[in-house]
Amino acid sequence: MNSDLLRVVVFSVGMATIATIVMLPPGIALAWLLARRSFPGRTVVETLVTLPLVLPPVATGLILLRLFGRRGFIGKWLDQFGIDLVFTWKAVILAMVVMGLPLLVRAARNGFEQVDPRYEQIAATLGATPIRVFFTISLPLAGRGVVAGSVLGFSRALGEFGATVMIAGMLPGTRTLSTSIYAYTQTGQDAPATVLLVAAAAVAFSAVYISNRLSTTGV
Amino acid sequence: MYRSCILVTLLVLGGCGRTQSPTTEVLVSAAISISEAMQHAAFEFEVASGTTVTLNIGGSDTLATQLIAGANVDLFVSADLRQMNRVELDGGILTATKVNLLSNQLVLVTHGDNLREFSGIGDLADSNIRRVAMGDPDAVPAGVYARQFLQVSGLWNAIRDKVVPMRNVRAVLAAVEAGNADAGFVYRTDVRLAESIEIAVAIPAGNGPEILYVAAVTTNGPNESGARQLLDFLRSEAATQIFEDYGFIVLNGGVP
Repeated sequence: MNSDLLRVVVFSVGMATIATIVMLPPGIALAWLLARRSFPGRTVVETLVTLPLVLPPVATGLILLRLFGRRGFIGKWLDQFGIDLVFTWKAVILAMVVMGLPLLVRAARNGFEQVDPRYEQIAATLGATPIRVFFTISLPLAGRGVVAGSVLGFSRALGEFGATVMIAGMLPGTRTLSTSIYAYTQTGQDAPATVLLVAAAAVAFSAVYISNRLSTTGV
Repeated sequence: MYRSCILVTLLVLGGCGRTQSPTTEVLVSAAISISEAMQHAAFEFEVASGTTVTLNIGGSDTLATQLIAGANVDLFVSADLRQMNRVELDGGILTATKVNLLSNQLVLVTHGDNLREFSGIGDLADSNIRRVAMGDPDAVPAGVYARQFLQVSGLWNAIRDKVVPMRNVRAVLAAVEAGNADAGFVYRTDVRLAESIEIAVAIPAGNGPEILYVAAVTTNGPNESGARQLLDFLRSEAATQIFEDYGFIVLNGGVP
């Protein structure tokens, strides 16, 4: 594998890893809220989180571009601080987080729903604060769901194409595994496309394999 | 050189946008079908001018959408006039700089091992030509062009039952290469993508549809003068040679 291809693989795995770390705090918080609390607008939140799973990725990319472009609602505001997301690695992360989050939330929420609420109640009656209950009881017991969700989110981030191509473009500094494979096949360069394909399959296989090992040995 | 330009690009992108080096870098959004030729031309321009060129490639529709959303692109090279018009309507390009840069040609290809010689496009009606691959004649531009040409030539009714509609030109090449189709319609620039493919009949540019690559300097970009310099270079003798090597027809501003 030549250095250009290696760079694409390292970049993609790195970006997907950062994206997974970024989506964990909001993902776990949302999963817990949806599993344990009823609040006004709960269904709206649930639907919004699921939306990227249902919409064509290109449409999600279009929405992100409209929001974060320099003329967009959020982009205009960021522009005042000299931050331009479009066509940067930050846009790659954004697309990955938005597309991966629904899968993380779904699996983690399942995990939290399977925790018997009585354990949490007992801890609370013994004087534990809600935050302590969450970190010592709920989260460890929901661990499998969270890990499974993280792997799903990571895999989705790694394979993300439609939204990335819209908001991050295909510049030398924003090319991921998916967008590179697309560019190579479109320009008839099947050999590098195949190399990247094998690399993508290897990374995906490892991620799923590791998660299966973790969940059978217990977390 | 190329390596260091990637590094510079990464560093600049890693900072707060591209605003830090407005005069030494040109960001070009170019249609994916000319990305290789553009990469080659951009490299020559970098050597000659010392200006770094960063290429953003994609479908012309995606590139236009990015520009309309306010992307910091300096130069836009579209493979589709309609997409250029979309950006122009939005005030995204300097109209005076808009130029017809390149054209392409529709060709009928066969497998190189095919000993049969084509005397002309009319041979498609022969009974030993059983399948003709082309882009979907209702949706894919290359297929729409091929159907228009066959209709004008009066051949369409004779061969319409042999037509195998494909998703894109790459699929047409694959079908002819694999021997699943006896012949196929692609662009001249696609022929070099497949080693075993040969041109059987080239559709004369005058009879074929008008295929245009249009370029223009944008109004969004931070480096207008760099974009103008690069556009001038793309119309120079040196760039003409590069584009012709890749199979394009160089227009130099005129219309075919």
